[in-house]
Amino acid sequence: MNQTMIEVNDVTMQFRMNNDKIMSLKEFVTMALRGRLHYQEFTALEHVSFTVKSGETLGLIGHNGAGKSTMLKVISGILKPTKGSVVCCGNVVPMLELGSGFDMDLTGRENIFLNGAILGYSEEFLKEKYQEIVEFSELGQFIEVPIRNYSSGMLARLAFSIATVVRPEILIVDEILSVGDAQFQEKSKKRMLQLMGGGTTVLFVSHSIKQIREMCSRVVWLERGQVRMAGQPEEICAAYENVG
Amino acid sequence: MSQEQTQPQIILPRLATVLLAGYVVAVVLFYFLSGEQLHLRQSRDNFSLPGADSGTVELVFGSVVEQRFFTEIQRLERIDIQWGTYYRPNAGIVLAELVDLRSGTILLSQTFDAAGIPEGGLTTLAAETPIEGLYQTPLLLRITSDSQPGSAISPLMNTQGREEGWELSLNGVSTSGILCFALSGTDYIWTGLHYWQFAVAGLVLILLFIAVVWLRVRTGKRSYVVNAVIAVQKYRFLIRQLVARDFRTKYKRSVLGMFWSFLNPLLTMLVQYFVFSTIFKSDVPNFAAYLIIGTVMFNFFSETCNMALGSIVGNASLITKVYMPKYIYPLTRVMSSMVNLGISLIPMLMVCVFTKVQFQKSAMLAIYFLVCLTIFSLGLGLLLSASMVFFRDTQFLWGVLTMIWMYATPIFYPETILPEEFKFILQINPIYHFLKNTRLCILDGISPEPVVYVQSLLMALGALLIGALVFRKSQDRFVLYL
Repeated sequence: MNQTMIEVNDVTMQFRMNNDKIMSLKEFVTMALRGRLHYQEFTALEHVSFTVKSGETLGLIGHNGAGKSTMLKVISGILKPTKGSVVCCGNVVPMLELGSGFDMDLTGRENIFLNGAILGYSEEFLKEKYQEIVEFSELGQFIEVPIRNYSSGMLARLAFSIATVVRPEILIVDEILSVGDAQFQEKSKKRMLQLMGGGTTVLFVSHSIKQIREMCSRVVWLERGQVRMAGQPEEICAAYENVG
Repeated sequence: MSQEQTQPQIILPRLATVLLAGYVVAVVLFYFLSGEQLHLRQSRDNFSLPGADSGTVELVFGSVVEQRFFTEIQRLERIDIQWGTYYRPNAGIVLAELVDLRSGTILLSQTFDAAGIPEGGLTTLAAETPIEGLYQTPLLLRITSDSQPGSAISPLMNTQGREEGWELSLNGVSTSGILCFALSGTDYIWTGLHYWQFAVAGLVLILLFIAVVWLRVRTGKRSYVVNAVIAVQKYRFLIRQLVARDFRTKYKRSVLGMFWSFLNPLLTMLVQYFVFSTIFKSDVPNFAAYLIIGTVMFNFFSETCNMALGSIVGNASLITKVYMPKYIYPLTRVMSSMVNLGISLIPMLMVCVFTKVQFQKSAMLAIYFLVCLTIFSLGLGLLLSASMVFFRDTQFLWGVLTMIWMYATPIFYPETILPEEFKFILQINPIYHFLKNTRLCILDGISPEPVVYVQSLLMALGALLIGALVFRKSQDRFVLYL
């Protein structure tokens, strides 16, 4: 049970920011010729190290721009760190922004398979769980309707249902518990707790300290790309609230 | 997660079997489909008719026209002689003979009725079986006749012509110039004669390759091949879903739906057919079929590249949020274009059947060139999609380039109308080679020379290699520029 699931080793992430993004060849050439092709280094993460053990729910807190989302992207493999390394043991299912893999012209049913495939589920698995997803999303007969006709609440419910139907080994959650109406929020929170109880390792980002306190077993506080504090939720949240 | 870990030990033997069986089937199939063209090609030393600018002598009884020449044609099949008639009715019999000067034997001999020969007409001295062993042998073409003066014809000549070691003599008097005659025949192809040796060598190479991969797996090392195989296994479902998505959304809200894939090339072809067969006259035989093969292939190419071009930028919202190998995006776009190609092959075949193209077994070989075109397009698509991320100008530049490329490819014009100094454009244009050989296989019913297959594959793989390398080198930086 105490196996290390995520190991973040001294990760530094630097972005090259040119003053304005050069998007055309002509601009690039003229700028380069005039010798004005200088970049600004922007460090989003600096020597960040922590580990997450199996079954833990780790909360990441920090102000806007502290590097929380960058950290999640590095862990899920979307960004390659400039220095350092991240080792994940197991399947990572990112729920970074729900429904980013949706295609508005397809029906809910087609989107379940498409989005499921994007999240790395197998075909047999999706067929088996299809009914469960539809039921959990409470979409009923709307499942055969192109999702461009869905309300935003319906979209979010569908996305949440697809993402949580599995028991991923590592689940990455970025501010998603404010989905749908109060009743669905309650339901999704229950589902999350159920997942965590089932041994899933969860990485959780939220601005709501209340949620962090409720759900997390450990908290890392990031500030300006560095780990400011790490430890028990109570202690860290109290310190964070004092500063904030 | 229910996804079972794919074991290389399980897939590899299956894959190796498929690879070997596929190779053997391909080799045998190719042998039968390519037919005679595997061993023989039109000789490089075929001598075409020089332009006539003068008559020789009036070929009356007793006069003789002799042309000494050499040839490097390995199998001489026919000699054509061009005649002038003085624009009058003639009579008598002319005799044309081909003599081997070394041994003095007469190789070919044929008589023609002078009355039946029109001005500028050709008579053909045809060998029943191709004559071999004439390589670099001194030969003599002798023409005599029994005609009376006033009703005799005259072989034509070119007074400017000159060839090393050739000599034209008229009634025994040596004259400068060349008789208007043409030589044609075929040469043996060395690789074709050794086809089975090459086939076995290929088999050995494949076996060696499998052995190396197998050894690496056994010792626990990971090779690119194994990784690629596992990736394909793992992302098969995703690729299928993305292709289905492309296909479903493309025609989602149109009434005719996927019927458009079928209708589009047909309509384009009809318009072009009308324009080029009535407004600009074109003398290509079976122009309709010629045109639709060009249209279908070039449209496939430009559609594939256009789709792949926007594949990374267009999926920015996914790439910045979910991890998956980025080559999947251009790859799926190419695959959905392939589905489209498959559909547009139906109208292509329909036009061919409708215009009574004589399908030979070589038509199957056209598939090979379509595969080459696909690989080539994939390579270019990878390159374009990567370049698009960093320079959004790529899309506009590519629009112009596609247009230039279209005109530089003989889609609706015959390649013969290009002036000699621009012929090199065709030679460096890979699409031209794929297109030309597809047409050769389908319309002419013969297979190109073996070396053409190798050239085509090398062009396709070269493009893929460059595209894949550029893509791999730059893919980690994509997310920063989206």
